[in-house]
Amino acid sequence: MTRQQSASFLIDAQTAFTTDYDVVVIGSGVAGSIIAKQLAAQSKKVLVVEAGPGEDIQLANYEKSVERFYTATAKDGNAAFSRNPNAEMPRGVDTVKLRDGQVNDRGYIVQRGPLELDSSYTRAVGGTTRHWEGKALRMVPDDFAMKSKFGVGRDWPVSYDELEPYYRTAENEMGVSGNVEDQHYSGLRFPEGYVYPMLRMPPSYLDKVVAKDVNGMTVNLGEEEFELYIRSTPQARNGVPNRNYDGGKGYKPRSSVSLHQADVGGRCQGNTNCVPICPVQAKYDARRTLKDAMDTGAVHFIARCVASKVNIDTATGRVTGIDCKVYSDMDRPAHTEGTVKAKTYVIAANAVETPRLMLASGLQGRNGLMGRNLMDHAYLLTWALMPTPIGAMRGPLCTSGIEDLRTGDFRARQAAVRYSIHNDGWGWATGAPHTDLDHLIDESNLFGAKLQDALVDHVSRQILLDCMIEVLPDESNRISVDDAYRDALGNMRPIVSFDVPSYSLETAAFSRRLTKQIYARVGAEDYTKYSPLECGYVSHNGEDYVIRGGNHWAGTHIMGSDAGSSVVDSQQRSWEHKNLFLCGAGSMASIGTANTTLTLAALCLRTAETILSDLVRD
Amino acid sequence: MSLHKIKNIDDLHRYIYAAMQLEHATIPLYLTALYSIKPGTNAEAMHILRVIAVEEMLHLTLVCNLMNAVGGKVDMSQKGFVAQYPTMLPDGEDDFVVDCQPFSQKAIEAFMKIERPADLDDGSATIRRKSAPHPVLVACHPYKDEDPELHFFSIGQFYKAIEDGLRVLHAQIGDELFSGDPANQITSEYYYSGGGELTAITDMSSALRALDLIAEQGEGITAHIFDEDGEIAHYFRFHQLFAGRYYQEGDEPYKPTGPEVDVDWDAVFPAKMNARMTDYADGSDLREQATNFNRAYANFLRMLSFACNGNPEKFTDAVGEMFKIKELFYLLMRQPLNDDGSIHAAPTFEIDAVLEGGA
Repeated sequence: MTRQQSASFLIDAQTAFTTDYDVVVIGSGVAGSIIAKQLAAQSKKVLVVEAGPGEDIQLANYEKSVERFYTATAKDGNAAFSRNPNAEMPRGVDTVKLRDGQVNDRGYIVQRGPLELDSSYTRAVGGTTRHWEGKALRMVPDDFAMKSKFGVGRDWPVSYDELEPYYRTAENEMGVSGNVEDQHYSGLRFPEGYVYPMLRMPPSYLDKVVAKDVNGMTVNLGEEEFELYIRSTPQARNGVPNRNYDGGKGYKPRSSVSLHQADVGGRCQGNTNCVPICPVQAKYDARRTLKDAMDTGAVHFIARCVASKVNIDTATGRVTGIDCKVYSDMDRPAHTEGTVKAKTYVIAANAVETPRLMLASGLQGRNGLMGRNLMDHAYLLTWALMPTPIGAMRGPLCTSGIEDLRTGDFRARQAAVRYSIHNDGWGWATGAPHTDLDHLIDESNLFGAKLQDALVDHVSRQILLDCMIEVLPDESNRISVDDAYRDALGNMRPIVSFDVPSYSLETAAFSRRLTKQIYARVGAEDYTKYSPLECGYVSHNGEDYVIRGGNHWAGTHIMGSDAGSSVVDSQQRSWEHKNLFLCGAGSMASIGTANTTLTLAALCLRTAETILSDLVRD
Repeated sequence: MSLHKIKNIDDLHRYIYAAMQLEHATIPLYLTALYSIKPGTNAEAMHILRVIAVEEMLHLTLVCNLMNAVGGKVDMSQKGFVAQYPTMLPDGEDDFVVDCQPFSQKAIEAFMKIERPADLDDGSATIRRKSAPHPVLVACHPYKDEDPELHFFSIGQFYKAIEDGLRVLHAQIGDELFSGDPANQITSEYYYSGGGELTAITDMSSALRALDLIAEQGEGITAHIFDEDGEIAHYFRFHQLFAGRYYQEGDEPYKPTGPEVDVDWDAVFPAKMNARMTDYADGSDLREQATNFNRAYANFLRMLSFACNGNPEKFTDAVGEMFKIKELFYLLMRQPLNDDGSIHAAPTFEIDAVLEGGA
């Protein structure tokens, strides 16, 4: 494993606890890695702390993860990773449909409900980008001003236009494939002549078939009429470099990460298991950024090191150190303890783990907002069978979607939404194609050539449209901790309290109606059904729905323009602890209808500038 | 060992065609070794072989660009383009046989011999020479019919002859030499590998740069392990498999100090060396599958040629064919040929037969 290698950036606990750093970064996900890279590039002495086992920097280890996924019987988002009691992550198999008042504590995350969230995250080098799908959507300008424009939610203390240059840097850092021409909707704006680093992922055959019947379709929402179009979705996945990028300089795609020359992953090959793991590393994950940081020589990296307590000087409010527990064996709780020290601290452990750590340290904040305003996208899945084969199961997962409802006057009354066409059939909803095989054998009694034919016919016609619905910040949706729930290392586990309000469920109802219309237009037979027995089941206006989590945890250390009503300022600096930055989607004041990664990356690029000027000044 | 000098455009085209054959010649060898490794094993060895095969394809594509640049026609679907294995390859004074064979220490030794830099022997290599007479090998004979004496030469001299030819012709007719349509050039949008940039060739300087890359980088003219771009020469990439370690910056030849390379030499399909159609019974499944393989490979070469003839956007389709070829490789390699399973089937690369419409 990594500790046996000669790479000098990998250090032991002794070194971590006895070195004075400029900055300590808790978490090696995309937020932490981006900040580490920006600081290291200016020769700041950085320590990156990772709770996970710290493997997978080498190609061989990464491929072991791919094998682990292939052979896993339960293929959830974390299927590529071994169970690690010392730094656990949420697993799909642990979720249940909660009954009234019931608490589900059988998994790492304690679910208080009322709605059980089946979202997860990853505690490994590179964080959740190790299993994310890779969509790289910008938020639209209205998303930053929900309160002013629509009278709901909150305003961000920063605007789309202020963040826009950082979006471009993030798109470069992560390597985004997309066509700017497809992105002119909902007020999105780009500088004249801007193109993405790589050309869009080619629309799938299914995208084209749906577009034939859907492009130009109109729908009414509130007082407005919207025209719908199938547009290509920008994503952080290697495609054909755009020769016009960067004033004609072009772009060289980054591929696999390793300590030796590896050169895999130059292009997406069409594998369908983007979630949870790209077999060829064509999908961006934060190890690329982390590797850049480590190559500067200014970064120390310690894995198997779990931050357990943030220590504060009560007089000044400044952080004086972060206590950590360092384990050597994933299966044994034995660990050494020590404190990492720096001038500035960055906690970038994701929107669940960051507030968990703060709360476990007794730092809920004077306004008690730490951990509150938890947001995640509410996903409604719908699925159908197309009249003729459309070649499902050829990746990447989603190449196109419908963006036209990402903003509008209706947001005063109900949530915005975007739709994705899935190239992987009914997988997310039903567990296809494995479940199709079971069904054809058990219920249709097929075998031999007939079974093969039926399987091919059935699976190759599967279409799934997911409806990604905005959830507004609500203080009662939150992460909390309790002494009763601790992990193997003795750290407190996160408790989730979550519910999806009517504001979002109205749009779920609207989306069900719209997708029925879409399926009718393309001649598909609707197979969607929601069962009260499923995790995420809700009833709204007498109709059944099942809400799936989007894995876009956010809002739990919300940013704002005053200390009374937020946890961090627009630079993600803690109001109460001036040398502490809480970085990641937890800072976001709204989630709109964009996957959080690109936006949090832009925020962190901006934050890095502030940290640098702090260090220069001090 | 002097070569017929390039005196006119036809000479130049013939030489470049020979270069195309040369660059293609190692691809079936490396792919056969690569796909004989049992899937799920030997990840590092697979990557090393794969990267080298992909880099050879880069060189091949660069040579096609050169052919197009000087107004020649790229056609890899001609009879005789694909070598027939085993083939005799020259090594200075002697020849040695190169077999199409599964992954093994013997195979890697042979590959190292193919890629061996000339001046590793005298150990004095500190200067990069553009045209060192190092003994990489050619499976083709541009002047076989005209002058049987001239059918052995080294790649260094070979590319030097092309470079000289370009200079001579450029002195005669200037930039008219580069009469090819720039739209035929394959650029790096359509091709990807770590092995270097695929650049358009449109004039003398881009032509010389490309020749530089082809002649130096892959075959490793000097004893330097890493080239200017930080890429490891093929010879040393192969050596990593023997040494069981990766090379790092600063290492000396034969003394890699990088992370370990785990090789399981036994986790290999015992594919028949230099398999022939006649190894498979008439009317058998294997005969059909072997034919399908050759057809798919011929199709691949046809698609590549098509892309190189003014349809660069079709290059990715040709690359897609490689996935089909990989499947067909495994289909053959998995199947035992004899009763005790000590020999398995393998592709035969008898492409000419398929082109005739026979077999």
